[in-house]
This record gives sequence, structure tokens and C-alpha cells, in this order.
Amino acid sequence: MAISESASREPQTSQQTSQQWLENEPAVEVVGITKRYGQVAACDSVDLVLRRGQIHGVLGENGAGKSTLMKVLIGLVVPDAGQVIIDGRPSVITDPIDAAAKGIGMVHQHFSVVNALTVWENVALGDQDRLNPQAVRNEIGDLSRHYGLDIEPNAIVGTLTAGLRQRVEIIKCLRRSPRTVILDEPTSVLTPGESEALFEGLRRAVEDEGMAIALVSHKLDEILGATDLVTIMRRGQVVANLPTSQSDAPGLARAMVGRPVSLRSERMLADRPLADRPTQAERAGSKSGLPKPVQKTASLEIRSVYAQGDDGRSLLNGLSLAVNRGEIVGLAGVEGNGQRPLGDLLSSLLPVSQGEVRVDGHPIVCGKAGAMARARISVIPEDRHDSGCVLEMSVAENLFLADPTLVSRRGVVDRRKMMDRAQGLIDRFAISCEGPTAPMWSLSGGNQQRVILAREMAHAPRVLVAAQPTRGLDVGAIEYMSSQLRQAAEEGVAVLLISTELEEILDLASRLIVLSEGRIVGGMDRDQVDIEQLGLMMGGAGT
Amino acid sequence: MTDVVASDPIDALPKEVSAAARGRHLVFGEIVSLYALSIAGALLLSGLLVYLTGGSARAVLGALLDGSILRPGRWGLTLGSAAPMLLVALGTIINSRAGLVNIGQEGQLLLGAAFATYVGVRLGGENIGQVAGFGVLVALLLAGGAGGAMWAAVAGALRFKRGVPEVLSTLLMVTIASNAVGYGLKKDWLLLAPAGDRSNRNQVSEQLAETVRVKRVTVFGNEFPITVFLAIGLAVVVAFALARTVPGFRLRMLGQNAKTAQRAGVDSARYGMAAMLLSGGFAGLAGAVMLAGGDFGNYQLVPGFSVSIGWTGLLVALVAREKASAAILVSFLFAGLRTGSGFLAATGVERKITGVVQALLVLALLIPPAFLYIRERRRALNASKERI
Amino acid sequence: MGALLDIIGNEVTYSSAMRFAVLLLFAASGEWVAERAGTLNISVEGMVLAGAFGSAVGYDLTGSTVAAVFVGSVAGFLVSTIQANLSHRLPADQFVVGLTINILVLGLVGFLDNVLEPTVVRASQLTIPVLASFPVIGPALFDQPWPLFLVYPLVPAMWWLVYRTRWGLEVRASGEDPNSADVSGIHVNKRRRQTIYVAGITSGLGGAYLVLGAVGSFADSIVGGRGFIAIAAVIFGGWTLRGSVAGCLLFGAVVSFRLSLPDQGYDGINTEFLSALPYIVTIVGMALFAHRIRPPAALAKPFLRGLN
Repeated sequence: MAISESASREPQTSQQTSQQWLENEPAVEVVGITKRYGQVAACDSVDLVLRRGQIHGVLGENGAGKSTLMKVLIGLVVPDAGQVIIDGRPSVITDPIDAAAKGIGMVHQHFSVVNALTVWENVALGDQDRLNPQAVRNEIGDLSRHYGLDIEPNAIVGTLTAGLRQRVEIIKCLRRSPRTVILDEPTSVLTPGESEALFEGLRRAVEDEGMAIALVSHKLDEILGATDLVTIMRRGQVVANLPTSQSDAPGLARAMVGRPVSLRSERMLADRPLADRPTQAERAGSKSGLPKPVQKTASLEIRSVYAQGDDGRSLLNGLSLAVNRGEIVGLAGVEGNGQRPLGDLLSSLLPVSQGEVRVDGHPIVCGKAGAMARARISVIPEDRHDSGCVLEMSVAENLFLADPTLVSRRGVVDRRKMMDRAQGLIDRFAISCEGPTAPMWSLSGGNQQRVILAREMAHAPRVLVAAQPTRGLDVGAIEYMSSQLRQAAEEGVAVLLISTELEEILDLASRLIVLSEGRIVGGMDRDQVDIEQLGLMMGGAGT
Repeated sequence: MTDVVASDPIDALPKEVSAAARGRHLVFGEIVSLYALSIAGALLLSGLLVYLTGGSARAVLGALLDGSILRPGRWGLTLGSAAPMLLVALGTIINSRAGLVNIGQEGQLLLGAAFATYVGVRLGGENIGQVAGFGVLVALLLAGGAGGAMWAAVAGALRFKRGVPEVLSTLLMVTIASNAVGYGLKKDWLLLAPAGDRSNRNQVSEQLAETVRVKRVTVFGNEFPITVFLAIGLAVVVAFALARTVPGFRLRMLGQNAKTAQRAGVDSARYGMAAMLLSGGFAGLAGAVMLAGGDFGNYQLVPGFSVSIGWTGLLVALVAREKASAAILVSFLFAGLRTGSGFLAATGVERKITGVVQALLVLALLIPPAFLYIRERRRALNASKERI
Repeated sequence: MGALLDIIGNEVTYSSAMRFAVLLLFAASGEWVAERAGTLNISVEGMVLAGAFGSAVGYDLTGSTVAAVFVGSVAGFLVSTIQANLSHRLPADQFVVGLTINILVLGLVGFLDNVLEPTVVRASQLTIPVLASFPVIGPALFDQPWPLFLVYPLVPAMWWLVYRTRWGLEVRASGEDPNSADVSGIHVNKRRRQTIYVAGITSGLGGAYLVLGAVGSFADSIVGGRGFIAIAAVIFGGWTLRGSVAGCLLFGAVVSFRLSLPDQGYDGINTEFLSALPYIVTIVGMALFAHRIRPPAALAKPFLRGLN
């Protein structure tokens, strides 16, 4: 383990003032990094300085641009503008090998370990010198002891738990003696005990070896507990940058989700056009306790659903919720706590191991192709390219994906009817495109989203699930989407809004529920919202 | 936190790169010239090979053209050869569009031919009449399709029930098919002709009766089986079905985005199985058409009857980039190389050169799109380097 | 049953089985490496044929079997450069490229064979004293044309290369999880190209062995689909080298069994069934043990990020 020069200086302690921190030598500086995907800026002129001997928290909701920024630093994303300065020298990082050569290592949120290989083989992967298994195994032993990260070097990685797999990744990263380490959501798969061990190890690396560590997270408590400095990102921009000692959980929560209550939302609160009626009904229901009996008013009802991923990991963990006709229920929560599986469940993509989904009291088969759609559950999926549309097909075809029989006669698509209907939808939903035959990929993200919305609304849904419906959209598109969701609710559709942006939920929903670790941990009515309480619930800091 | 001014963002760049990567702003002429260049390269290389071995490239080209289209009666032969290739390609297009990789058409075709032989020989005796003969012909074509479909169905079932990759099973089943047919041609209760009809060959089926054969028509002195029209008709049907019908729409959805398809109610196993059946069925039909059409052998089945038409049809589909209309042209081109090679003997150049020409042409058609893809990526990378 | 006993007791059976198995071993050992890196390299058939023809021409030109074997491996390598660079430098589909190469080599070899008409002899017999007199299997293993003996170091060398070197580790990672390998700093496509070169060289050696060791003459039908049997052997072996070797030996035995039956006066045996047996066994094995016999996770899946 090489010890870099700054280790010879006095160890840093968390008692130092912010002034002293800023005197630490910068390891990596990011200047004006911009990265656009289509019309959306994932990073918009972002500046960031990572200094030696510091753990630097990067806080933000998912989609705030943290991951993109970090990918720039290890060469997985080529930025559109801006530069990276390493140890004072402007550098281009072409790929992860190059990043490693320049002293930057990363522990990924989605594991980058090869499951079929053993622990030591994974750790040795990417080395340049001759393969010496015994030496690698010894090094793993040394690192395990030094950082308190115990692991069996000969185990096949695929047989390990998620926490241990991450440990492999961390050891692999630390073994290269990087001067800068990026940890992307490192504790999302760890138990509290494992997290604690991890942070102790990191603190040792920072203090003994003068590493610069970037800790990317959306968990307030770990940012507060483990970092020296925190940068908060929102919508691709840095919105705050302050020493951790001068911040507190409510303040960070506020900064992360935006202003506590936006002007728009204030107005919404004042005249409440949509919510009161269904909220009353729901309130009566919720007092009877969980699980509730089937109610005539509950359009969508999910009852203690359990589901596992292919790797056996628990995705939904006894999730129960009900959405009534005409109400918008906002599902708040930090990314990765079951939003995507819930969306998949309601898109017929996820079979359940236990529990059931009912629409208007009728149970629906989970995981069977098209079953949810036939029960008139419309979904605006979280990742529109993943399960929302077919990029290679035309706008018109995408508008009738779910039910082509609407525009066909005896199994043959009636092109004129399809084009006419499509044009009608294009006009009604103000989709900006070259016409119904334009390929889907030629549309901007906002317009692709409108196509999906138009399709899902065209089927007269009973339930509308909108998962992160405004992610990556510009202001106008957001307004439009919001008004459409309100309108759907007014027409009597049960709307479930899944969003990591609290502001959006506060703006639209009449009732909020909070998702954590695959189940609902709490809820409150819109008019009784306590923003700090919500932020704390989402951050896992308390209910 | 720092007061460093952000470097000038090159606004136009990312948009331009992403659009170009989609092939939108690429100059049309550039693409055409790239194709022209690489095809010319392939022909030049072939010519060079002929020249270096003491042949005349010009004579070879002339012979190929004469043998495939120019000489009287030749383009009819070429059409007759193209028909089964096209049929195989159509099936391949269907499975590729559904996102499945079937590379076992050669075996499916051979099995189709065997089924067709069995039905054609058993049902159609020497003295069968005109009308009954036509009935048998239809039955044998259907049997061919069924045989090919059955062979592909095994691979499909292995894929959807047991998770065996269809690319492996279809490939491995090619040899099994050829051995199964070889076995059938040894047993007189299966395919082997009665001793009296074998002349001096020992593995040969009975000939199809006159009335059971596909009718051949003559147009401008070119004779070809009417199954050519069947193949072209089916190409139109496949193109139409994929582009315009609801099942075709769903199949394309499955191939392009399986998750979206699942959400929209397209069951991947059901539609995938259907695609495999159709794919094998088309290959099997191609085998039946070869048997009853008269351009491949003497209306009888022999070992090695498929003469690589299955492989060639697969290439046709891939070179035509999964477009049924393009497959018509490409199959004619490949069939032309096949029939043209018959005239090479006169030039003293070994006819196997056509395999070389065909392969080089395929490679030539593969390179431009791949090259364009890479170049756009490189441009994006270089653009980012220049900013420092 | 009598046939079986006659054959099992006969030294010639083993010699003949070994001759067929060795060709498969040459081709399969390289193919195994390529598949471990993620390429289903169906041009192995063309590579073997190129190696066979190359060695025939090499012998014709130099009169040396050593030079001939060398030329054979070079010919196999040259074919592999087409496959490797079209499918893993340009993003062309590996099956189209593979199929096309098989057609190309068959055409080219058939064409050139007619022009050059190389004449070949069988390479000299090498007999290892003592070992060769081991009963029943001694002659099969230790009294054979000399190119056969190349396979003895080759197979363990491939094992060592894949399991004991850094290169092999990177190869396995590329075939299992190219994204993770890429993030770890592995040039996935470079490794895949290199494994195809390895397959080209070993297949070329296999072709040379076929001409100089097993047959002693050249014809363009000499390979006759045995490249595909090599692929089947790798699949049969569940993508382990040990299993692949077992597959080669088994399939080699089946082939020789089929060919030797008529010679020994047993006509009633179903030779087609024996020809198809390697493929049937492989498919049934895959279907039965689909959960255990698992292909490298990224087999036949292109990795595009690294192409530039």
C-alpha cells in the first residue's frame, strides 16, 4: 500500500474549520463540466473540487447529475464541455484504465465485479503486471485487516451477498492506491453495521493516506455522519457547497428537494381544485388500519406484495397501497427503494412471490404479458426507452403499441385510420414532431414523453401510474405533464405518482405516502405536510 | 466554490454528433460511394485472384454475366435458383425481426425437402391424374413447410422451455438433419427408391411423378418454375405482414423492445415460437420448392440435396438487412453467381471462384455500415480531446 | 455386441479414434479460448480448411513437413484476422462474418487447389519408446505421425493460458461480463480478437495435422464439417477445457467407430445415427443441464463501447 505524500502532514481531524479544509491540496478539480443527453443537461457547468484528506459528500436526488459527473471523472462519459484538472494539470480521461493511471478509482453503484470469477481474480482484474495469485490473496488479507473489511479471497463472487460483493469492489479499488476514490451510493446494499464498518475504513484511508474521497449519496445521515464537506446538486447544477459541520438534516433535505414549498405549490395549496373529495374518502378508509378491506372506492389496490429479482434480492417487501378514483397519490422516497419494481409490477414485467394486485376489486395476474394493461392500468414508465416506447418505430406506431386493434380491421392495420388518429393525438397532446411517420428517436425527450402519455390516456384508463413523469423534461413540458395528470384525476382516474422529486409530489398529490426498502413506511395528507419530517423519512432518518 | 470560468461550451457539437450517429445528417452520396468503393474492392480482389492465377478477369466476368442473365434461357435458371434462397431469407427475416437468431436453415430446408419427397412419392404414383397431381403438389409443399417448421420448433422449444440458446441448437441441428435424411435415403420404407428405380446409385429417392411437379413456364425463351411467383408473392406477403398487420407489428415490437412488448401484451414465448415455426417453415418450403421445381437435381432427393441454399438464404437475409424487398434483389444476385458459374468452365477458370466472389461481396456489403458506425464514435471522442 | 467387443479390444480402434479426436482437439482448444472470451466462432471450419490447404501448399513448396505445419498455422491465423477484425473491430455480426468466411475459404481453397495442385505426403511416424508398447492404447497415444504430438503440449498450454495468466483472466472476464471488465480497464474487444487469433492458429495446426498426420493428401472436402464438431465438443464440455477434451475424445471415437464398422464386417449399424450422435448428445446435454452447463454470459453478444 503506497502512502501518498500528504500522509506525512498532520492528520486531518473533523475539528478543523472550513477555512483550513479549503487549504488542503486539491486532488481533482472539475471545471464547468456540461453533458447533455438530447435537450436535457445532465450536468450543467458543474464545478467541484475534491481535496486530499477529505471525504466530500455529493448529495442530490436521482437524476440530479451526480452519477453523470462521476462517470466523467472515470472516463465512462465524454463531457460536451468543461475540463478535469488532476493535480493541477488539465487532463482528458479517456477510459477507466486511464482514470486509474491518473489515480482515480471508483466503487460503482451497480457492481462492476464479474460474478463468475473468484474474489482474488476480481481484485486482480485490470492489473498490468504478471499474475501472482498468492501475492494478490495476501494483499487482500492485508487490506481486509487494515480497513476492517473481512473477505474470503477464494470465494466465487456470485455466491456472495450484495454487501460482500461491494466489499470486493472497494478492496479492488483501494488496492490500486488511488489518490482519489469515488463511491457511488455505497451503502444502498449494506446493512447498518456494514455501512459503519465501511465509513470507519474510509476515514482511515483519508486520515492515514491523505486520499480524497467523493461520497455520492442521497442519504442524509451518512452525509452528515461521514463527510467533511458537502456539495448539493439539483437538476444538473450545484446548488450548495458547505462544510458538513455547518449543516443539519432539515437544511440538507430542503436543499436537496428544492425550496420547501414552491410558489406554484403555494398556489395549489390555496385553491386545491382537485383533491378534497377523494381525500376525505381515503381518510375515512385509512383510519381502519392496514391491510384495508376491499373498498368500492379503491381503484388500485396492492396488498402486501413481495417480489424478488433474478439475483434473489428482495425488491418489494410487503408493499401495500390503495389509490382511489379521482385522487392523486404521491409516492415519495429515495431512488432505489422499490420505485422501479413497483412500476415494473404495474407494467406486467414483474411476477410476485406473495400478495396481489386488484383493480376495482378484481385480482390481476402479475407478470403475465399485457395483463395489467388489459385491466386498464396505464403506466408512464420511469425509463421511457426501457419499457415505454420503441425508438425504431414511428410516432404513430408508438401511439398504438398497446392496442393496435384500435386502428386495424381484421388484423390489418388501417394506415389511414392510424395516421388520422395519430395526427389527432399529436394535435391534442401538442406533440412536436415531423408527423405521425417520424421515427420515435427523432423526438426530444419531452415529446417522447407526450407520445407515451397520449397513448396511455387514449385507452381510457382506470388507473394511471406516472413514474418520474417529468424527469429530464424542461419547464414547459413539466407544466404540461402536471396539468394532464390533474385532468386525469378530475376525470375520475386513480393516479399514482411515483417521484423522487418531492416538489413535484407536493405540487400534484392530495395524499403522500413514503416508500422505503420496498414498502410503505408512512404517509400524510397534503394539507398536513411537514416538509422536514418528509425529508427525514425519505432519508431513512426517522418516521 | 472555485472562481474558474467554464470553458466555452461547443454548443453545436453534441447535437450534431448524436444526430450523425443515427445516420441522419450523413450525406447520402457519401454512403453510396462507400458502398461502391467496397463493392469495387471486392470485385477487384476477385479479379486480381483470377489474374494472378493466369486467368482473364474480363473473361470470368463475361462468363458470369452470360451464364446468369445474358445467354438465352439463363435468367430463367437464375430465377429458379433464386426462389428457394428468397424463401429461406423470408423466414430468416421473420425470426430476426422477432429478435431470434436462427442459423440452422440449411438443416430445416433439407428436412422440408425430405418431408416433401415422402409425401410427393407416397401420394403421387406414376399414373396420377392432372387434378390429383396438383393436390399432391400442394400437399408436398405444405409437408415441406411442416418439416422445416418442426425442425425449428425443436430449437424453439429448447429456447423457451429449457433456456438453450437457439443460435447453438439450430446450428447443431443442421448436421443432425443431414444425417437423418441420409438415413431415410437408405431405407425403402422411408425415402429410398425401390431397387429398380435407383439405376446405379444407392442413396436416392424415387422421382416425383410428372403431374406432381411444379409447372414450368417459358417467358421470352426463359423457362422457370411458377414457384418463382410463389416466392415473390410470399415476399410481398411477408413485407406486408410485418409492416401492416397486427401480428407483424407485435413481432417487430418484440424484437426491438421486449420489455415494452411484454407490457403491451406480447408474450415473448408465444410470439417467439411462432417466429421460429415460420422461419423453419419457410426454409422447409424452400426445400420442397427445390425438389418439385426442377432446377435442383432431377425431381428426386439425394444426400447433400440442399447444396448450401440454406446458408446462402441466411446470408441473403442478413445482407438485405432484414428487408423483404431487398431480399428479392440480393437473392437474384446470389443466384446469378450460382448459375453464372456454370459458364466458367469455358474460360478455364475453376468455378469455385464464385464462392470467393460471393463471400467477398458479402463482406463488402458488411463493411460500410460498420465503418460508418465506428467513424461517428471516433469523431465524438476526438471532438472531446480537442477541447483541451 | 460382438462388434463392440471386437472393437474395444483392438489397438487399431484406438489409433484411429485418436486420429479423429486429435483434429478436434486442435480446433476445439482454440475455439474454447475464443468462446470463453465471448465469440461463438463458427469460422473455425474455414480456419481448419485454410490450415489444411496451407500446409499442403507449404509442403509442396518446401518439401519439409515442419515448414508445412508452420505454413498451415499461419494460414489459419490469416483467416482468423478477418473474423477478428470484422466482428470485433468493426461491429459486423459475428455469424454473418463466420458463415461468409467459411464460404470464402471453401471457394478460395477449391479454386487454388485446382491451380496449384499441391502434393503432400504423410509426416514421419514418431514412436516414443517404452510408452508406445503399452498394451491397447500405447500405439494410439505414442506411435503416431509427428504433428499429432503437438497436441500434447497445446492443450495444457491453453489451460495455463486461460486459468493461470493475466491474459486468461481478462479473457474470462470479457466473456462473462464485458461491462465490468471494461470498467476494470480491460480492452474487451482486443482480448476477443486475440482469442480468435489463438483459435486461428490452433485450427490451422489442426488442419495441418489433418493433411500431414491423418490423411497424407489434400482435397477441399477434407474437413467436411468437423470444425462444427469441434464447436459441439466445446459446448458439450460445458465451456470447460476438461469437458471439451472429453467431448473431442468421445466424438473422435464415435467418428472412428462409424468408419471402422463396415471394415470389420458389421454393416447393420446405423452410421448416420453415429454421425449425428455428437450433435444429439450435445443438444440433449444442454437441455438437461441447462442450469449447470452455462455458456459464458456474454457468448455471441457484441461489446460495442470498446470499439474505436
